[in-house]
Amino acid sequence: MNKVLALAGKDLRILLRDRTGFFFSLMWPLIIAIFFGTIFGGGGDGGSAIAIVVVDEDSTQVSGDFIATLAASSELDVERATLDDAVDLVRRGKKTSFVVVKSGFGKASENPFWGDAPTVEVGTDPARRAEAAMVEGILMKYAAERMQNVFSNTDLQMKNVDEAKEAIRTSAGMDPATRERFEGFFGALDDFLAEQQQLQAADTGFAAGGGLGGFTPLKVEHAQVTRERRWPTNAYAISFPQGIAWGLIGVAAAFGISLVTERTRGTLVRLQTAPISRTTILAGKALACFICTVTISVVLVIVGRLLFGLRPTSVGMVAFAIVSSAIAFAGIMMLLSVLGKTEQAAGGIGWAVLIVMAMLGGGMIPLFILPPWLKTLSNVSPIKWSILAMEGAIWRQFSFQEMLVPCGILIGVGVLFFAIGVRAFDWVQQT
Amino acid sequence: MTGPATALMLEIENLSKRFGSICAVDELSLEIREGEIFGLLGPNGAGKTTVVNMAVGLLRPDSGTVSLRGTGSPADPAVRAQIGVAPQALAIYGDLSGEENLRFFGTLQGLKGKGLAERVTWVLDFVGLSDRQKDRVKTYSGGMKRRLNLAVALVHDPALLLLDEPTVGVDPQSRNAIFQHIETLRNEGRTVVYTTHYIEEAQRLCDRVGIIDQGKLLAMDTVEGLIKAHGGTSVIYLDRGRGDERIETVEPMRELMKIHEGGNVRTFKVDAPDLECVFLNLTGRRLRDN
Repeated sequence: MNKVLALAGKDLRILLRDRTGFFFSLMWPLIIAIFFGTIFGGGGDGGSAIAIVVVDEDSTQVSGDFIATLAASSELDVERATLDDAVDLVRRGKKTSFVVVKSGFGKASENPFWGDAPTVEVGTDPARRAEAAMVEGILMKYAAERMQNVFSNTDLQMKNVDEAKEAIRTSAGMDPATRERFEGFFGALDDFLAEQQQLQAADTGFAAGGGLGGFTPLKVEHAQVTRERRWPTNAYAISFPQGIAWGLIGVAAAFGISLVTERTRGTLVRLQTAPISRTTILAGKALACFICTVTISVVLVIVGRLLFGLRPTSVGMVAFAIVSSAIAFAGIMMLLSVLGKTEQAAGGIGWAVLIVMAMLGGGMIPLFILPPWLKTLSNVSPIKWSILAMEGAIWRQFSFQEMLVPCGILIGVGVLFFAIGVRAFDWVQQT
Repeated sequence: MTGPATALMLEIENLSKRFGSICAVDELSLEIREGEIFGLLGPNGAGKTTVVNMAVGLLRPDSGTVSLRGTGSPADPAVRAQIGVAPQALAIYGDLSGEENLRFFGTLQGLKGKGLAERVTWVLDFVGLSDRQKDRVKTYSGGMKRRLNLAVALVHDPALLLLDEPTVGVDPQSRNAIFQHIETLRNEGRTVVYTTHYIEEAQRLCDRVGIIDQGKLLAMDTVEGLIKAHGGTSVIYLDRGRGDERIETVEPMRELMKIHEGGNVRTFKVDAPDLECVFLNLTGRRLRDN
């Protein structure tokens, strides 16, 4: 094993020192993932606006105005729906959150001094806490603005004070001293608002701004929605698995040629004359290819997760998909490496085979928009199974049993192709 | 061959190898003794590299056997571990440093830890590359690469060293340095098989030489023995005032003394036979023409 590790370490070191090879192995797949993700729609949730669906259970003028305010905002992309539809949209990942404007919202909004605060319920996928917090903040912002409007509307405030005074007057359980204090307070407030109204009528410009703070503008209740990710969250969820596939292709092509390079440059003779078996030599090459593909895949997933909104189902599923794909492409690399006798031949044959694999397997056009006959044909391409495994782990929300199909095929392909490659490897090229 | 070293290091018996219609090696037999430097001299395409490749287990012979110290065939990795090979093509990685190359190949040979570090240090010092050990090999001169190629063959302290045309493409200064390294190895009692098509190298370095052409071993002996047996006569060219004279003799010193006693010698030149003459007499062709 020490010798296999030494062989793999040598190949990885050489790859890292080859700037061109490093670029096309790591940076190129990343560029593909970002580029195609961006041109095919980027964040599928509507760019910078967070897509929400709103349910109006209050159906008052106030709730309607509040929803209209949200719809007019630049931060939110608002769609109205029934509660069932709203929950379904969030569960399927089509919307970030649903917002239910609860019954009584309008009444509560008109009475800021007593009773419950106007209430909304926000339902969000637990995996999207960041967006949920942003949605809540945006709702608070517009609720506060609405309250500010209420306080700057002296007619409405005087109506509220009158209603408050009437409620105090008719309150049965209130002791006389408290009642007297409230009546004094609301009497003074009533006088103040009357003066404000006169000033507004005189157009002095004085009355702008309410300044009565300390009230809760909005009460937010939370609901959790377990999402069915049977649809990509955004275009990057499609383009990153494709980018990873291109990384696998690049590495398989690079390492497939490297074995021929070892032969043409004479270093293979040195390896062959060392006291190691051919399987050890080829296993070292395969291990280097495996490590390289795993590294590229992990880097792309991390970049996608941190910067482009990828939300894998679980680390374990992603690891399963990555390792299976890496095994498959180590085997494919081994087979490619024995197909050509010269670097040019090996490179040409390798890319020809890999490009066809990519075309059939969804490396260029997403699998889910392929016509049915091409989807059937794509089953012969390991790229298809690699992309499917990655998509299963990223947005298709595959169960472990569902993951076993693509991952099992990939592992089988890897083992089979490696065995064929080892057997077909021309240990001593007859020249 | 100097000294009493008679134990066999490498025994090659009736070795044959064909590539299609071409017979690369034809019923070739050799015995390499411990502690000697054995030269395999022949033109390009004579079959020298094929013999080396079969001797190290890289090529499977069509017939015949190779045995190292009587322990078995080099096709067995354990036997192969006793051999160090410096292939004709530079078998080193340009993107790794000299030290990294040595550490890598040393690890493949089973070295590790302190033992590996000590061997790497020793061999770098031996070939004079200690001051460039951290530099990438692609920045080395051709001669330095050749020395590293030799160092890699030596890193695991092999019992038998196979050097396949180790001075090809090397400037005279580096060639001389390689000669000195090989002479040092001889003084240490190392067994070396040295293939070359340069007569001067074989004559300078080798205790015994095998002449190979078209896959056949034509003759094998010490340099003196080969010349005596196959080199032909020496030729003395002289001018005694009566025109150019040419005298062939098997004992040029005795003939010169006799000429000197006759007096009136203006100029003279002696062409002693060398391995070139041996090759010419054995094949009818000059080695240099190949």
